[in-house]
Amino acid sequence: MLRKKYIFILGLVIALGVGGLVTTVGLGFVLKAWWGTPFEAFGFGGSPEQPVAFPHTVHAGTGLLTDSEGNPKLDLEGKEMNGLGLDCIYCHRAVTESPYAGVPPVEFCVYCHKTVGSDLPEVKKLLEAWDSQTPIRWERVHRLPDHVRFVHEAHMRYFTQPGNILPSGEQAMVASAVCSTCHGEIGTMTEVKQVRSLKMGDCVDCHRANNAPTDCTTCHY
Amino acid sequence: MGLTRRQFLKWSGASALGAVVFNGCNIPSEELQIVSPVEMPEELALGRDNWYATVCGQDAGSGVIVRVVDGRAKKIEGNPDYPTNQGKHSVRSEAGLQALYHPDRLASPKYRSQRSGEFSDISWDEARLILTENLKNENITLITDPLNGHLALLIDEFTKGSGATYKAFSSVEEGNLGNAVQAVFGESRIPDFDIANSKYILSFGADFLSTWQSPVRYSTGYGEFRQGGSVRGTHVHVDSRFSMTAANADDWVPVKPGGEGVLALSIAYVIIRDGLAPSAIVSKLTDGEGSDYLSAFDPANGDVQKATGVDAHRIEDLAHAFVDPSNQPSLAIGGGSAGAHTSGEFNLKAIYALNLLANNLNKVGGVRFNPDSPLESLNSDDVLSKGRAAGLKEWQDLAGAGVGAVVIRGANPSHGLIKDANFTSLMDNASFIATFASSMDETASKSNLVLPELNYLETWGDNIPNPGPGYQTFGLQQPVVTPFNENASSFADEIIKLSENLGLDLVSKLGIDDDKTLHGLIRNGAQELWSQGRGSVKSATFEGFWQGVLQRGGWWDVDATKVSSGTVNAIDASWPTIEFGGEKGEGSDVFHLIPFISNSIADGSLANLPWLQATPDPVTSMTWHAWVEINRETAEEMNIKEADVLELSAGGVTVKGPAYIHPAVPPWTVSMPFGQGHYTGEYSGGVGENVLAVVSSLADKDTGSLAWAATRVKVKNLGNTDGERVPKMEGTVEAYEAEERYILQITGPNGDGKGSH
Repeated sequence: MLRKKYIFILGLVIALGVGGLVTTVGLGFVLKAWWGTPFEAFGFGGSPEQPVAFPHTVHAGTGLLTDSEGNPKLDLEGKEMNGLGLDCIYCHRAVTESPYAGVPPVEFCVYCHKTVGSDLPEVKKLLEAWDSQTPIRWERVHRLPDHVRFVHEAHMRYFTQPGNILPSGEQAMVASAVCSTCHGEIGTMTEVKQVRSLKMGDCVDCHRANNAPTDCTTCHY
Repeated sequence: MGLTRRQFLKWSGASALGAVVFNGCNIPSEELQIVSPVEMPEELALGRDNWYATVCGQDAGSGVIVRVVDGRAKKIEGNPDYPTNQGKHSVRSEAGLQALYHPDRLASPKYRSQRSGEFSDISWDEARLILTENLKNENITLITDPLNGHLALLIDEFTKGSGATYKAFSSVEEGNLGNAVQAVFGESRIPDFDIANSKYILSFGADFLSTWQSPVRYSTGYGEFRQGGSVRGTHVHVDSRFSMTAANADDWVPVKPGGEGVLALSIAYVIIRDGLAPSAIVSKLTDGEGSDYLSAFDPANGDVQKATGVDAHRIEDLAHAFVDPSNQPSLAIGGGSAGAHTSGEFNLKAIYALNLLANNLNKVGGVRFNPDSPLESLNSDDVLSKGRAAGLKEWQDLAGAGVGAVVIRGANPSHGLIKDANFTSLMDNASFIATFASSMDETASKSNLVLPELNYLETWGDNIPNPGPGYQTFGLQQPVVTPFNENASSFADEIIKLSENLGLDLVSKLGIDDDKTLHGLIRNGAQELWSQGRGSVKSATFEGFWQGVLQRGGWWDVDATKVSSGTVNAIDASWPTIEFGGEKGEGSDVFHLIPFISNSIADGSLANLPWLQATPDPVTSMTWHAWVEINRETAEEMNIKEADVLELSAGGVTVKGPAYIHPAVPPWTVSMPFGQGHYTGEYSGGVGENVLAVVSSLADKDTGSLAWAATRVKVKNLGNTDGERVPKMEGTVEAYEAEERYILQITGPNGDGKGSH
């Protein structure tokens, strides 16, 4: 009888221990996602798989391009290739005049890709989408908490005004230099991921640092 | 284990609640997606524009800004900062886009070993090899459009290194003007005429509001002259054709062709006789003799009236008005047809000497001189001579001397020279002809090798405006777009490559070992400008200076002006020989032919641009043609109706054009625009006929410049069998003389014209 009792207590302790551990880990996971960016597990955080593996390194970056094994990519003449260094707002055109940066329509991609790289597998997906007139559904990477509004246009306008200094301490001359403040160095990311929490604390810190209004209705309206 | 009914309901209720709760917390996956629509939404219009400053390649001396959207040039406007045109621009500048996107632009170099054979497309490497092989050990003759700035320096070094003969080509050259300015003012640069601040302008022949020298600058000044000050300036235009400038003048004096110089000296005679000019200047101009020195030009002299067609009273009035104190400062300008006679240089010297009598040199509202360029290397006479177009005599001498290999760039002498310039025989005798051209023209189609050239919107260059704005100005031309035609090249850079292939030491002489292009040479020049530390752009670093010059379209220093006393030599007072070529016989059907430069297609070099062909002529509203202007009463006498085909013949050659009847054409002249009659080009081919076919081969006896306004033609009406109409913009109502009437009539309260006071 006594042994039975011990086994029960041991079982209870183990169960409580495991349960506590699971609860702690789970709580930690939630808290990390709550205050910062989530751990990259179970499909949270990191970079979601996109319908077309669009590399920002090739388009927006200026660094040397490498393939999946880390070898440099070579052009037709056997020279090493660098990223194109396109301006962010070349594709995300709405960013200086609307709440959203926007993604370019398929047609816009095809302007170049009807001749450029039309034999690459990912570009073929794009061209198929164009031929079949199917919209491309990209997985959202950056997402703000509920009940908050963020207007890109106002932020772009503020930081490109002469005299206004970016949080990094530089003077932004062009709109695209402002983007990396929140989005990080997108040009170095093969797959885009969120680098800042973009939670209320993050917003408010920056607003305070720049003497921007911090009353509720600035963002919650 | 039993499950009671109560327990079952409890569990099922809980799981249903759980399903609702958990599903409600889940966000549907499509709400986490961003959709790229297939087609471009309208509000996402393409087009973020950038404006780049450069200099215009089609209206020399103008600074322009070009709107570039997504890497394509979309619109050309005047550069508001640029000193010469100050934000204004001409129709010729505007049409630069059509030259950039022209369907005729050559897609690749073309070659044929026999000039009778067919062209075949070759690569640039092959073309460079062929060019080098054919120029090696040959006498090279290089013919280009008039050059200026660092390109002139480059070509000067190339001609010196290779021993090449150089000729600048312009279809309607004004060699007489340069000589007259040199003789009267002792200046090698055309001065700046301060039209804006003048009170009285007496112009001879020069269509300065439309095509002559720096028309955009003059037109801007003209607006100020008329409306800018407290007093509206008075303008009298002396011309044997009713040009746009004549139409704008208060008074137009239709002068007998060639009589402009006589008229100017007659005016000078009256001024001197009546003691209305500073005596020191008069004494120098007349060798101390006073008005007797010019007695042959007394307006009362019958010869004066015969040569000018202007009666004595009018000459006296013009002279008195020109020096009238209320009309000061006054200004005399001459050029165009006034200088295109056998007495052309004499005419212009006489006209410009009037400025000495008005004592307006270096004065506001008068003649202001242009200083040398700020870069010493560009001021040598060898470099400046690359901008002076060769006259008829030079072409004849060149053809006579025989040429080896010929390289032509930006010039179309096969169309723009008269037959007696013997350019055809020059081409026939050449061992090899290479032409840099953006499209096939009459000259390129007679070549062995045709090399596609980049447009001025795609290449580096610079321009030192001549005439300048009266102070040092350096215009910078930058590629505002990446080459639209990828298989074209820059003439300057090809010349540098050629010189290397020929083993000439051009690169190190010019100091461009690092950047072996015209860009490198211009940057070196800009370094020198920067080190002077003055002018419109100043910067601590050279890169900052370079960016500033690029952004503004150039560099200028408003304080770098020039004061020149003029030479004030005695006027050439021997009676001029005014000769006429073509038809010798007198008769009611013999007329003076006064060709004129088109406001839009210029001397014909822009004839292939449809916007310019379609731009109505400012006087007649004619488009897309080479028409013949004839006086209304003369036309009635000869039974000529509008659109009747008129045949102008001189010495056995003829040219045809539709009649345009106009009351303001002097009865003794007919007029026809230059520049049409091309047989090549999508838009220029087959449009009108080339008036140069009948222009006789007379030249100024001293300068050898073609006297293109000194031809007399017989006019024959071939009728209008097809019922054609002339391509004009105005309505079907024929032009008529407006009656003299008051624009504003002040009436009294009773309507009787009498005020109450």
